[in-house]
Amino acid sequence: MSFLKSLFLILGLIFGIFVSPAVAQSEPETLRPLINELAKGKYAETEQQIGALAATGDPAVAPALKALSEGDLFFRKSDGVVFIAEKQGNSYNLKDPLTLEAAGEAGRREVKKIKVNNKLRRVIRSALGSLTLMASDPNVRRLAAVAIFKAKDPEGIEALDVALAAEEDEGVRRVMEQARAAAVLNSDLDETQKLDAVATLSDMGNRDALSLLLSVRASSEGVVRSAASEAITKIEKSIATWDAAQNIWYGVSLGSVLLLAAIGLAITFGVMGVINMAHGEMVMIGAYTTFVVQDVIRTSMPGLFEYSLFIALPLAFLVAGLIGIAIERGVIRWLYGRPLETLLATWGISLILQQAVRSIFGPTNREVGNPDWMSGAFELGQMTITYNRMWIIVFALLVFAGLMLVLKKTPFGLYTRAVTQNRRMAASMGIRTPWIDALTFGLGSGIAGIAGVALSQIDNVSPNLGQGYIIDSFMVVVFGGVGNLWGTLVGAMTLGVVNKFLEPYAGAVLGKIFVLVFIILFIQKRPRGLFALKGRAVEA
Amino acid sequence: MARATSLLYLDGVSVSFDGFKALNELSLIIAPGEMRAIIGPNGAGKTTMMDVITGKTRPDTGEVFFNGAIDLTGEDEASIAELGIGRKFQKPTVFESHTVWDNLELALKAPRGPFSTLFHVIAQSEKKRIDHLLDLIRLGSKRHELAANLSHGQKQWLEIGMLLAQDPKLLLVDEPAAGMTDAETAETAELLKDIAKDHSVVVVEHDMVFVRSLDVKVTVLHEGSVLAEGSLDHVSADERVVEVYLGR
Amino acid sequence: MMSSFLFRAMDAKAGIFLAILGAAIVLVPAGNLLVPETSPFHVPTYAVTLMGKYLTYALLALAVDLVWGYCGILSLGHAAFFALGGYAMGMYLMRQIGPRGVYGDPVLPDFMVFLNWEHLPWYWYGFDMFWFAALMVLLVPGALAFVFGWFAFRSRVTGVYLSIITQALTYALLLAFFRNDMGFGGNNGLTDFKDILGFDIQADTTRAGLFAASGIALVLCFLICRSITRSKLGKVLVAVRDAESRTRFLGYRVEHYKLFVWTLSAMMAGIAGALYVPQVGIINPGEFAPANSIEVVIWVAVGGRGTLVGAVLGAVLINFAKTWFTAALPDIWLFALGGLFVVVTLFLPKGIIGTLGSGWTALRQRKISARYEAGSDQPPSPAAHSPGAAANISPRAENTASSTSGAAKPQPAE
Repeated sequence: MSFLKSLFLILGLIFGIFVSPAVAQSEPETLRPLINELAKGKYAETEQQIGALAATGDPAVAPALKALSEGDLFFRKSDGVVFIAEKQGNSYNLKDPLTLEAAGEAGRREVKKIKVNNKLRRVIRSALGSLTLMASDPNVRRLAAVAIFKAKDPEGIEALDVALAAEEDEGVRRVMEQARAAAVLNSDLDETQKLDAVATLSDMGNRDALSLLLSVRASSEGVVRSAASEAITKIEKSIATWDAAQNIWYGVSLGSVLLLAAIGLAITFGVMGVINMAHGEMVMIGAYTTFVVQDVIRTSMPGLFEYSLFIALPLAFLVAGLIGIAIERGVIRWLYGRPLETLLATWGISLILQQAVRSIFGPTNREVGNPDWMSGAFELGQMTITYNRMWIIVFALLVFAGLMLVLKKTPFGLYTRAVTQNRRMAASMGIRTPWIDALTFGLGSGIAGIAGVALSQIDNVSPNLGQGYIIDSFMVVVFGGVGNLWGTLVGAMTLGVVNKFLEPYAGAVLGKIFVLVFIILFIQKRPRGLFALKGRAVEA
Repeated sequence: MARATSLLYLDGVSVSFDGFKALNELSLIIAPGEMRAIIGPNGAGKTTMMDVITGKTRPDTGEVFFNGAIDLTGEDEASIAELGIGRKFQKPTVFESHTVWDNLELALKAPRGPFSTLFHVIAQSEKKRIDHLLDLIRLGSKRHELAANLSHGQKQWLEIGMLLAQDPKLLLVDEPAAGMTDAETAETAELLKDIAKDHSVVVVEHDMVFVRSLDVKVTVLHEGSVLAEGSLDHVSADERVVEVYLGR
Repeated sequence: MMSSFLFRAMDAKAGIFLAILGAAIVLVPAGNLLVPETSPFHVPTYAVTLMGKYLTYALLALAVDLVWGYCGILSLGHAAFFALGGYAMGMYLMRQIGPRGVYGDPVLPDFMVFLNWEHLPWYWYGFDMFWFAALMVLLVPGALAFVFGWFAFRSRVTGVYLSIITQALTYALLLAFFRNDMGFGGNNGLTDFKDILGFDIQADTTRAGLFAASGIALVLCFLICRSITRSKLGKVLVAVRDAESRTRFLGYRVEHYKLFVWTLSAMMAGIAGALYVPQVGIINPGEFAPANSIEVVIWVAVGGRGTLVGAVLGAVLINFAKTWFTAALPDIWLFALGGLFVVVTLFLPKGIIGTLGSGWTALRQRKISARYEAGSDQPPSPAAHSPGAAANISPRAENTASSTSGAAKPQPAE
């Protein structure tokens, strides 16, 4: 029986292949009688009728077949016409099986379900597989192949062979080959075929292939078994590599967040030597600027939402930068040379800013939306990469590069470096040191502001946003070496990656504690950080 | 002179900061009871030499011995000070929120551990010694004044007084006359000569008049090593020294 | 030797302060227990507890002042020692609950039963005995401070670097104590205490007793601090604060001195925490928050760093203000506190007592030198001078305005 059935299927498929180009997209009228046939006869007949439908090669029959396997295909007792029916209360909503248009209602007793058993379901699945394997849309073909891969149905092999012969898309072809390999391993074909299949899966190299091969190893023996074992070791190794890569990616992603948060601090603390405990609040203000921009856009010009972040960036820079300049002029400039007092005064400012934001925007989280280009993810090899993380990494590196450029190539950067290295000399050369101080502090704060725009995309925007980053930021700057922007970059990335590699073993919280303890010990060893300046300049 | 009989013995000492050689194979020997003046242009390595002797900077290579036998490269500032090497800084550093009296009391030779200072009660002999030092550095009338309120020259003297209070075997004095009036400079020279009677002293100074008034053996440093050594007249006759000071 | 050590602590100024404190220790509990409730002099129990809490804060401020005001170590992590002392006391109080917990387990505290723990973790052993818990109140913060300080001071981590890593220390502990697996009640901490040393913790008499205990602890620690700061050791500490490397070149092993006061200060903070917990009835990881540590620093700054009375005064004043503000104008409190940070650092760098004291000292200085010049040679009395009061804080706020173009004066460090 099974042999007959296979034969029938093959015949049907061959028929389908040769005929389908000609009859594909046949009129509903030619298909309808074939579908209506399903109302007649028992399982054996139904099986033949399914074959006949598959033989048309027309994707239009797929919904009907699908409904059949799911038990949603009914026929009307009065005239034997077949519908897809959905139960609603005591009656059924009918749909045309080909056009899928609504076709009225029917009482419970007026229609009868077309019965299927598991064997038929399998037949339907491979029939559907072969139908869709030949579909004109490559995505449908790919999904069909994936379905066969999951079902590991040996009866799909022939369909796949036929489809493979016709397939032109490389990607789909590979998926089909993998599906075929899965089916072959589940069939009673000979060893050479199976060895080929193991090889195919071994090249595939992902978790699906691994679990399949594991079951193959458990169920087979001899050469196939040893080949499977070999392939398993290979895949496990490759998966481990990909896992490591994914971890590094997460680490770099965390590192870029740390970099964004710390880079403004690297200027105010690293270059100017000012301990700004209100730095986190600058980040928070940047995030709230984004919120306000989006809020205005939502109410007045919804079309601009996709560009909201680009509008928010310069605004956040300005707002945070101006607040920074105000803080420098109002408070910090009186405290130069007294780092501990600066620390306390800026902490006070951070409390005021937090409470101000809390009073204006309320204490709860505010919703900042992701534009479309920031949401979603894609696959790279066996890693999943979300767009928002990716853009934040890109953005962090851009900000870093931009800042480097400003400090190294512009007159402003030159003045800043001059003032920080020898204030008196710079002053006597005509540089207005108070203004350079204010602008440098403004620059650091402004960068914290644009960091806030980026962080609003991945973190809760609340008045406490900044507090979560301040300790980490200081850790990054101190670890990297004060006064060295490259140190900040390396420090941020190192801490990010170390954190993510510790997480699987220690958990997120404990991992973080380890990192903190590590830094505390590290500072004992190298009190001036990873890339410390050496020599007489330090002693002065 | 051999190491064994020397008070301070530096041999082949090199220190570099990021490629810049602050000291380059410096060798120097100070005999017990000697007073030595060290001169040299800016960046000659005078201060770095002091740093190496007092343990602030570790030499990359070379030997530093005190009293012929004690290797100073392995010790830190506190233990070197306890061994009997006192240092006066270029910029006068006294404890500004302490009185003159307290500054001297802190410097006075006594056990330095936290518990001995915690239970310390000042003895009559210590008071006498502080009074004596106050007279010596001419600050008797300022004993209850905060050190912060002293003039620059007075701070220099207070620091020299603190140095004496430590009762060291060797005094390292970095530019004691810097920022002083001529009269003060002359007085300081007298003070140092007084001190040199029962201590070994190394004086670093720019002021040639001051160095001449000390009338002792002079060592000229240049680019981290010894350029010339001898009496002031001898070294100022040396062509290389003239070249270094006046340019070529 | 010992007697002279303690004797040094006393003089007229300390006497006035101690008399006020002593009066409070007697009068407040008496006002609560002996004066009938109808009388206007009656002190309600909640006020006793509140004032008891202030006293423990004052003790914490004293501990911070000892390291910051006298030795220049700005600790942003003293809340950690405070909380550790609190947890040690909390563990004792938890063990005292016994079978009266919700789950009725005779040994395991409720949260452990809730987490399906089978046995008491080893580090909870012994906490059923008060003497052991009291010992731990001192030893745990002391040991942590010793180890941390030994590493940090030996490597000469100073200034803001030290401040930042003390902050990281308390932050790491905060994260750790939030974890349930740590066995300290996680997020909820330790609470629902029943009794202490056999007395009902809610009873008025116990509350009054705790208040008195806090006051006595404050008096004792004040005396210890004062005798330290007025000893030669205290002078060395101030010397370290003002010119660390100079002190080193004088032969003082600076790291030993720092380690000594640092550890002592941590222990005092631990005592403060241990007295705090039974009065507020709860200890949770929130006490480790870095913000708490910074707040203590501002108490000290307001009162006057480098003056012991100032630390106590600042702690009591600000906490009184906090209680009042958070009840009357809750939104204003953070503005006020933040503003206080700014105003004090800019305009009142010596704090209240420091500003008062320095005016007085200057006056005295002038008198003494005038007298000396007039020829009356007084024997020197170094003890008359309080080194802390004239802390090294020059009124630079005015200076800088005119000389921003000049070099910023470095803090006296290396």
